[in-house]
Amino acid sequence: MNKLKKLFVRWESFLVLIIFLEFVVFGTLNSKFLNITRLFNSLNQFLPICIISLAVTFVMITGGMDIQAGSIVGLTSIVVGVLWNDAGLNIFAACAVALIAGGLCGALSGFFVAFTGVQPMVVTLGGSFLYSGLALAVTNMSATEAYQGISNFPEAFRAISKTKVFGVVPMQFVIFLVLVVITYILLHKTNYGRKVFLCGVNQNAAEFSGINSRLIIMSTYVLSGVAASIAGILLTAYLGTAKADLGAEYTLPIITAVVLGGTSNSGGSGGVIGSALAALAIGLLRIGLNLNGLATQYLDIPVGVLLVLVVSFRFAGTNPKLRKFFMKKKKPETVSKVEKVD
Amino acid sequence: MFKKLLHSRELTSIVFIIVMFLGVGAINPTFLTLQNIWLCLNSSVVYTVVAVGISLVLITGEIDVSVGATLGMAAAISGTMIRNGQPWGLAIICALLVGLLIGCVNGFGVVVLKIPSIIMTLGINGIVRGLIYVYTDGKWIENIPFDFKLLSQGRLFGTVTFFYLGALILIVLVHLFLTKSKRGRYFAAIGDNIGGATLLGIPVDATKFSAYAMCGVFAAIGGVIFVSRVGFVTPLAGNGYEMKVIAACVLGGISLSGGVGSVIGAGVGAAIMASISRVLIFIGLSSDYDDTITGILLIIIVVSDALLRRRTVAKARRERLSAKTLAYDLEVKGGAGNE
Amino acid sequence: MKRFTKFLAATLALVLLVSMMSVALADDITVVFIPKLSGNAFFESANVGAQAFAAENGFTVKYDGNPEASVANQVAIIQNAINSGADAICISAVDAAGVDDALKEAREAGVVVTTWDSDSNADARTLMVSQGTPEQLGEMLVGMLADSLTERGKNVKEDAITYCWHYSQATVTDQNSWHVAGEAYIAANYPNWVNVAPDNYYSEQDAEKAITVGESILTAYPDIDGIICNDSTALPGQAQAAQNLGIDASKVTITGFAAPNSMKDFCRAGIVTRWGLWDCQIQGALGCYMAYLLANGQEIKVGDSVEVPGMGTVTLEPNTVLDPAAYTADDSGVVLLPERAIFTAENMDNYDF
Repeated sequence: MNKLKKLFVRWESFLVLIIFLEFVVFGTLNSKFLNITRLFNSLNQFLPICIISLAVTFVMITGGMDIQAGSIVGLTSIVVGVLWNDAGLNIFAACAVALIAGGLCGALSGFFVAFTGVQPMVVTLGGSFLYSGLALAVTNMSATEAYQGISNFPEAFRAISKTKVFGVVPMQFVIFLVLVVITYILLHKTNYGRKVFLCGVNQNAAEFSGINSRLIIMSTYVLSGVAASIAGILLTAYLGTAKADLGAEYTLPIITAVVLGGTSNSGGSGGVIGSALAALAIGLLRIGLNLNGLATQYLDIPVGVLLVLVVSFRFAGTNPKLRKFFMKKKKPETVSKVEKVD
Repeated sequence: MFKKLLHSRELTSIVFIIVMFLGVGAINPTFLTLQNIWLCLNSSVVYTVVAVGISLVLITGEIDVSVGATLGMAAAISGTMIRNGQPWGLAIICALLVGLLIGCVNGFGVVVLKIPSIIMTLGINGIVRGLIYVYTDGKWIENIPFDFKLLSQGRLFGTVTFFYLGALILIVLVHLFLTKSKRGRYFAAIGDNIGGATLLGIPVDATKFSAYAMCGVFAAIGGVIFVSRVGFVTPLAGNGYEMKVIAACVLGGISLSGGVGSVIGAGVGAAIMASISRVLIFIGLSSDYDDTITGILLIIIVVSDALLRRRTVAKARRERLSAKTLAYDLEVKGGAGNE
Repeated sequence: MKRFTKFLAATLALVLLVSMMSVALADDITVVFIPKLSGNAFFESANVGAQAFAAENGFTVKYDGNPEASVANQVAIIQNAINSGADAICISAVDAAGVDDALKEAREAGVVVTTWDSDSNADARTLMVSQGTPEQLGEMLVGMLADSLTERGKNVKEDAITYCWHYSQATVTDQNSWHVAGEAYIAANYPNWVNVAPDNYYSEQDAEKAITVGESILTAYPDIDGIICNDSTALPGQAQAAQNLGIDASKVTITGFAAPNSMKDFCRAGIVTRWGLWDCQIQGALGCYMAYLLANGQEIKVGDSVEVPGMGTVTLEPNTVLDPAAYTADDSGVVLLPERAIFTAENMDNYDF
């Protein structure tokens, strides 16, 4: 039991174990899985999710929720495209503007969450509708029709995603690693990070101890907006096309990655390493299953089953009745049934 | 009860929907016909039924994002059976049982395995969506018998469809259950203060479990109505409904942190959500702005409501909180609730 | 701890099981058949056609599509196809520029690339199995509307015809390109027509929303003459809306693209008189077959003819048949095959998809 407890405490090590197992299982089943160059190419698709989940971790540690990041990805992409294509801005200046726009989107939602006391999920749900709608509106400002996507970006911009460090590791992955380090330091080694945790543990207590908790909470949404923008820029560079609907499907995978990574959705605990590992684990799982012949349209089933199973390892321990079962080998059905009859 | 209603959050929503209808009528008078208003309300029937179900879960302070998939599964099953000529009753019962099953699985995960509800229902959402694809083999279910489609068109005195009437009765019944019965009151008690509820001996687990079970059944009812209303079922049926329905509940005054709100509000919110795309057409705005308007409405309504109530609520809450914090921290650290 | 390990073992077993069950049979030539999205009637029908044809002709088609139509998802599927050592890809591209790099990467890795339904950039694939250009399809949509209006006794050249478009979204490629081409055709040929909603109506492939939007169009514009629904969800939804309101084809003309099976009932009920599509089963089968031939080492150059079992002879035309300004090369061409069909009460029972 003690060991079990320790394992629960070091959730990240469990995730590393899962990733390791994925390599073993999928590598054995199909050696092509171990082709590192190809694997990195496949992973590129998951990097936006990985990057955003780093910042959403901050949000969720404060007890918040962010389901708008996906729509900021699309908004960023189209802002970059329109500024470059129609306003004639330098591509990197366009990226800078898009980053600011993403930050502002986050700040707006963050403001409502922190200063009006409306539940974060509601605000960001509204935000997700709003920003994806705005993205369409921005598209309409362009001479290019919404459906075509803006392409033919300059090589210097495409290079962000095409360059490979040491000829193997894509630049995007390196950027992701750098962001992991930055967010890790920010969350776990700075004063700011401690305040983020405090706000999540008990906002009132944080307020009493002189922390401007509202500002801290708002700042986490700005972070996630900026991260979504970074992901949007990388995705635009990678795909070579700017569209308003990029990233729309990322919302649920991001939340999944953060919670699977060990961040409590009621706030107060968690970490960026866990989120990063969890996002990678899910990505590798999807790649591995697909490589072994399972078509994409069926992937949600095994991924969902594994998600529920893995997370239940983590949380079942908090149910005293189940714990009893694990130690005394009582039948769990009867225990819970008796309870249910009430 | 009426007096209570006057002061309630539902009233804001009802006033809002009336103002919205009148405003659109001012821009385009063709909107303000009785027939059209009924069309608006009648077409919100699927949202309404699902919103009633999900509000049970929301009121206990949990969440369920698998209702869209549950609806799709129920629609696929009942649609296939009805198309194949099996008795309608049997098809409907099968669909409801599947809804119940999905609800129970969600309940089991949240109550027994203690998985955070959002992650549990997210996982189930993915699984059920995948299973719909397997069950239908990706194909559409077409050629639903005309008689079954006709059910959704049956109207009382040419105004309200029987389905919507049924949904309204359902709202009243569930509302009475939640406010008048002992067991029903547990729902809000748990959502308001789970620690306190536990201390009072309220069967927290059983209540939450039943909330999920009922939510699954209601989503399945929504699926059956979907089949009758739409007349064909795609593997994507119900995709994204979870967020729309949650937004509807929030518009109707249900708090996602639990304990606050009523199914009447959920019904009103569903009517608002279903009317938005219709309203836009009448005021001549591009459908491009559907999402933008929904988002702005959601934020404005909720934020203004929060600001209006802030003074009274904040004071009461602070008092409650400071008394609660001690017990809360001791009892259910890391439990449900977002705040 | 013991039980915990057991759980872990069970999970592992599950993963293994799922993987084992789905390991594709090797050796065969495998064509990965990529739709824009899975679960859509059009693409699923195409898959039925492709699978049946592949089974008869001894190759494997792996249908691999994401329920969400997005460029990133398609790129992921292409990458996976390369990784898994597939021999060929046959894709309907969500966005030509977005999949460009990935398809070129596939070709570098020795994977044959063909497209169908929605083309990629011409230099990123060997051939496309095309149902026609956006111009042809836009003209077909407008033509169907004009024919039905004429049947109703309207003078399409002189009467002030009011109409609108109702389809899935502003961001999908093909439907919007048909709409743009159709509008251009109307401007050139029917300047007397009035579009009541130049911004179009969208129902996001949500069947219920299609009905809601459909009902609203018919009540907000009670005098509207025609509605063009160039989306396979919007058309039956719009027809259902008309049926709900007791409006039939004698009052409003509803037409568009949808699979015949989804509209037969509405045609019998007199709600619609004609709608169109092309045989997507043949299109899917042909796209995969050509990919299979190329992967099997057969060289097909522009101008060559190929005998296709059960379909007769098809010829690889230069890309310029679609667009005079297109890229031309010996190894990049177009097969014009699935003929566009207009379904009416007389002929619809000849089609089953």
